[in-house]
Amino acid sequence: MGDKADVWQGTLALMVLKTLESMGPLHGYGIARRIEQVSGDLLNVNYGTLYPALLKLEQEGYIDSEWGVSDNNRKAKYYKLTRAGRKQLAKEAREWQQTTDILARFLTEPERTS
Amino acid sequence: MRRFRAWLVRLAGMFRKKRSEAELAEELESHAQMHVEENIRAGMSPEAARRDALMRLGGLEQTKERYRDQRSLPWLDALLQDLRFALRMLATRPSFSAVAILTLALGIGATTAVFSVVDRVLFRSLPYPHDDRLVSFGVKAPFEGIEFMLAPEYALLRSQSTPFESMTSITPGGADCDITEENPVRLSCALVESTFLSTLGVRPIIGRDFVREDDRPNPARVAFLSYGLWKSRFASDPSVAGKTLSLDGKPVQIIGVLPAEFEMPNLGAADMLLPQALDDSALDRKNPRVVLRAFARLKPGVTIEQARAGLEPWFQDSLRFVPPQFRAEVSLRVRSLRDRQIENSRVGAWVLFGAVIAVLMLACTNVANLMLARTVSRQRELAVRAALGASRARLVRQTLTESLLLALLGGIAGCGLAYLLLQAFISIAPEGIVRLRQASLDFRVLRFGLAVALLSGIFFGVMPALADPAPESLTGRSMGPAGRGFLRHALVAGQIAGSVILLAGAGLLLRSLWQIQSIPLGLATQQVVTAQISLAEHRYPDTPKQIAFFRDVETRLERIPGVTYLALSDTLPPSGGMQATFYASIDVPGRQRSSQGTGGMVGWRMVTPNYFPALGIRILRGRGFMDQDRAPTENPVILSEALADKMFPQEEPIGKQLRFFSFGTQGPWRTIVGVAADVKNNGLIAPADPEFYIPWKNDPETYVRRAHVTFRTSLSPSAVVPWIRTEIAELDPTVPVESSTMQARVGKLTERPRFDAILLSLFAGIGMVLAGHIWSCELLCDAAHARVRSADGPGSNTAPNPGNGASEPGAMDVGRRDAGTARCVVLRAAVAVAAI
Repeated sequence: MGDKADVWQGTLALMVLKTLESMGPLHGYGIARRIEQVSGDLLNVNYGTLYPALLKLEQEGYIDSEWGVSDNNRKAKYYKLTRAGRKQLAKEAREWQQTTDILARFLTEPERTS
Repeated sequence: MRRFRAWLVRLAGMFRKKRSEAELAEELESHAQMHVEENIRAGMSPEAARRDALMRLGGLEQTKERYRDQRSLPWLDALLQDLRFALRMLATRPSFSAVAILTLALGIGATTAVFSVVDRVLFRSLPYPHDDRLVSFGVKAPFEGIEFMLAPEYALLRSQSTPFESMTSITPGGADCDITEENPVRLSCALVESTFLSTLGVRPIIGRDFVREDDRPNPARVAFLSYGLWKSRFASDPSVAGKTLSLDGKPVQIIGVLPAEFEMPNLGAADMLLPQALDDSALDRKNPRVVLRAFARLKPGVTIEQARAGLEPWFQDSLRFVPPQFRAEVSLRVRSLRDRQIENSRVGAWVLFGAVIAVLMLACTNVANLMLARTVSRQRELAVRAALGASRARLVRQTLTESLLLALLGGIAGCGLAYLLLQAFISIAPEGIVRLRQASLDFRVLRFGLAVALLSGIFFGVMPALADPAPESLTGRSMGPAGRGFLRHALVAGQIAGSVILLAGAGLLLRSLWQIQSIPLGLATQQVVTAQISLAEHRYPDTPKQIAFFRDVETRLERIPGVTYLALSDTLPPSGGMQATFYASIDVPGRQRSSQGTGGMVGWRMVTPNYFPALGIRILRGRGFMDQDRAPTENPVILSEALADKMFPQEEPIGKQLRFFSFGTQGPWRTIVGVAADVKNNGLIAPADPEFYIPWKNDPETYVRRAHVTFRTSLSPSAVVPWIRTEIAELDPTVPVESSTMQARVGKLTERPRFDAILLSLFAGIGMVLAGHIWSCELLCDAAHARVRSADGPGSNTAPNPGNGASEPGAMDVGRRDAGTARCVVLRAAVAVAAI
């Protein structure tokens, strides 16, 4: 477990939004598990950062929460994407894509020129 | 936007902590449970599953803490906590709080009130766009305090290239004008060039600007209304432009309305603006007779010095028309419009502001001292809090919060006080203090008051807060103020300096006020009544009508019972404004005219024979005027003593002759028949000019539209005033009469110095009260120290002092105090000397 990377603060919000988009309403535990799974268990979602991040997203109006009942009849708080959140997700994903593209070009350039 | 929303939510989050706290606990618990269940499904034992879950959760309490920080605004939370605590501290020490708040209210209130006045004079921009580029320019000459332009020279300059973007001129003094239709009133009209509004950058709220054609000598007459006149006489009629008004019996077309904040650049009155429309004869360079005040807008980037240099060629050229002996005393002057407006008020404003800042500093040091004393008594509490883990910064913040709260409360009370003070200033202020009447507590001034409050809060809050609570104070043994002796002594020294400066200033002002009031005027003020009469030009267009009116006035007023002497004169001392000529231009037979300089100004008046007895002016030699002196063939003159001494030192003046330039022509030779005692004739402060008198004749060569009537009466002066009004109203009810006793006239002249002295004395008084309070505290403190020292000497200190030798620190303590006292004495002495 020690060799897993912690999630960076900035990207966690994006991952949460993406998770909620693909999975629909989900509780905190589910979100954490999902992110870990998608990362191929390379990431370790620090729970101490997850809940403040969820709260921040909610304060900004990108997600909404309400209490519900989980599959195995346990009371849990479910988070779902709002319309603003969907827009924000699209925007951030686009920006992220751009950033990685640029970085990728930088990182591959020396091999091409040499 | 999103961020703001989040901020609002967090702000709201502060108020429902309990509920969300429970929710968070529940959410985290359910999260843990799900984790445990999953682990069990994966085959772990229940205990191992639970332990793994808790490890993965990464510390329940830390998670909660971070969550809380995100939920609300932690700094605001801490601030509110500090505030609650500060309020509690203030409430538990009501007398301390009351004294501190009252002291601050005094300081801040006085400062804010004075700032609201001074701000208008020194800092606030004038009501013109880019007012920093507006200048007043012209020629400075000894007989006129303010720069002026001769009309032909101005016209010449206008046709040349100048450093100005545009320039304009107005006729000094404006003109009285009367609305001569139903509800006739007398107004003040300003006469301006057509470029006036565009140069100043004033946009009329209704109507068009003047056009060049309006400057032509005989145009269709047009006028702008002031906002006030538009509101009062035309009920803010939006379609007023184009209407016609009868002004001095002639139709004038209204072309627009000026904005409410408009003011004349010379701060003169202006109910209406009319084009000055100079005719060609006014522009004759050989015979200049029209004087203008000129204003201009500098080209962007041009400084006043550059503008002055740019005008120099024109000035040198115009000097050719100045008689050579006067040239040295004539100079070119270009200065900013603000400088021209506040000419005499700048120093006064700064002095007042300085005085009130001194009062504020006194108030602040007072409160700082109170806080310091209180910090000493709170040392134990602070030490406990430090021991419990409060960081130094946290303690400083706590103390600062308290002082800022105090300052804020003091500031609010101060703003209330400032309002009252300002009302008081305005009600006791004499006429003619620049912009005083516009002063008000507007947003800008309140902001200043608030800033002052916060600054003073920081000032008196930081000092006590910087003191580190000593660990020994945990023992509960009182430490005394020893450690901060220097700070305290510095504060006290500052206070002494401040109050000494204030006292010295107030003392000087009071002394000069006393001097002004006890100046011998050279004339009687008891039992003397004066009345000023001015005739409207349209009703009395020619000299015969004016003469006839004043002849009637004379005969009618002589019938008033109780009048011992009645006199008419064109001007009246001790205020200035008499007619004047250069000393050098007075001819004496057989003498060369002086070729060097103007020789200063010599005033002159036209008076009826009773002028001297009515005002109690003694005739020192020769005789006064008699009725036969008013005959057209007679040309006597009476000199003042100063003039006689100047013109005829060591000679007998009686019987000598002189002539001077008057009414546009060289006057006749006049024979000196008497010498009268000197009279103050330039106000109370400025030195008197020499003067001479000629008889008031009913002679068409002299034209007078204004006159002063002077009575000496055996009755109560105030009883005579209504009779004068009635008599003149019977002659012509439209003629305005300003009547008052001589005592009131003189009193008016001392109003300004009295006002200054009252204000500064007020501040000095407040300062003394504040400083006196601290001095008495200091003395008590010192006395207490001295008693303590003599009661238990250094060796006999037996108070428990855990962790240290019992006697050594005590000895050091006393030594330190002695050093402190010595330092304090030196400091006080030094500062007092420096202040004086």
